[in-house]
Amino acid sequence: MRTDEELMLLFREGSREAFEELFTRHHRAVVRFAWRMTGDPSAAEEAAQEIFLRIARAAPTYRPTAKFTTWMYTVARRATLNYLRDTKEDGEKVPILSEGEGEGGVYPVQLPGPNDRNPEQVVWEAQLTERFRTALGELPEGHRAAFILNRGDGLSYEEVAQVLGVTVQAVKTRIFRARMMLLSRLSKDVSA
Amino acid sequence: MGCRDIRETISACVDGEASPEEAALVREHLASCERCRVLERQMRAVGAGVRQVGGSVQDRFREKVFARLESEGALPKRKKIFPAAWRWAAVPLAAAAGFGFLLLTPGDGIRERATPGTTTVRMESPVSSAPLTTEDREMIALIDLLEDPADLDANDDPEGMDLLAPGDSADSPNPPRGGRSGA
Repeated sequence: MRTDEELMLLFREGSREAFEELFTRHHRAVVRFAWRMTGDPSAAEEAAQEIFLRIARAAPTYRPTAKFTTWMYTVARRATLNYLRDTKEDGEKVPILSEGEGEGGVYPVQLPGPNDRNPEQVVWEAQLTERFRTALGELPEGHRAAFILNRGDGLSYEEVAQVLGVTVQAVKTRIFRARMMLLSRLSKDVSA
Repeated sequence: MGCRDIRETISACVDGEASPEEAALVREHLASCERCRVLERQMRAVGAGVRQVGGSVQDRFREKVFARLESEGALPKRKKIFPAAWRWAAVPLAAAAGFGFLLLTPGDGIRERATPGTTTVRMESPVSSAPLTTEDREMIALIDLLEDPADLDANDDPEGMDLLAPGDSADSPNPPRGGRSGA
């Protein structure tokens, strides 16, 4: 099986099939990333279309100096950012908050307590997931992207640093702060 | 190291990004700090929570993306089976190939079979696209008659006779083999 990098080089040489294979492999991850960044399914779909358009257009300048996925997420993050900015400039509200929920809402969320043996396996109910999505949308973009790329998409701190163009230490700090903000937002019992 | 100073390292430890030395420091601190143990569990939970966020891909997403890529000229066109210069010849070539295949198919078309005491003659298959002449058609019809299955059964296929039950005749309404009477 060809690697992503080989497929991208084939696409650069004019192979449509190579791009179709890349799309098949990564479109779900791209849509999920855009969904988490925008907090809205329809916005995510539009942003994801933009991401693939940019990937296709950037093919002539693609150099396999880094992992394809790292490059892809770099494009994805920029495209998502631009999409959000364009939407705001057009005067449309970016639907990060759900209907009926405002800035001053109180969410007495019960996070897993110290007696839970494995918090990773805790089942997050739909209501909590919705609140989590809202809280995620309230993070500063740089913190949100770092946290989503690491926890959501499985990129290492080093890879996240490459995508965001910052140092590994900055990624470490951003992810820590994102965690504390999310905990503060989700549970009033946790002190920041 | 105080709680405030080690929290960032706890976060990195939860993500598996702490160095061995940092991880040892965290373990040592957590062993003696109930509050940070709670925080460490909450950090893990909030990390798992992000994976619960994310919608599914819409059914027509692929079509929409490729339609947009094509409309904006960002995608190479799908390759054609026939190059443009040869496309005009595709239909007659396909028709000739199909006709040749029909003629060579056993049963209804030309076929070759050795008969005891005779010399096998290999027929040239009409692979050219030239139309058949009347003479050609008569030749084909003659060959077909010579290879009537009933004739073959009578000459070199005694197994077919076994299918005739005592008292049965060739005029039976359900002849065992062949199928073309009066050939």
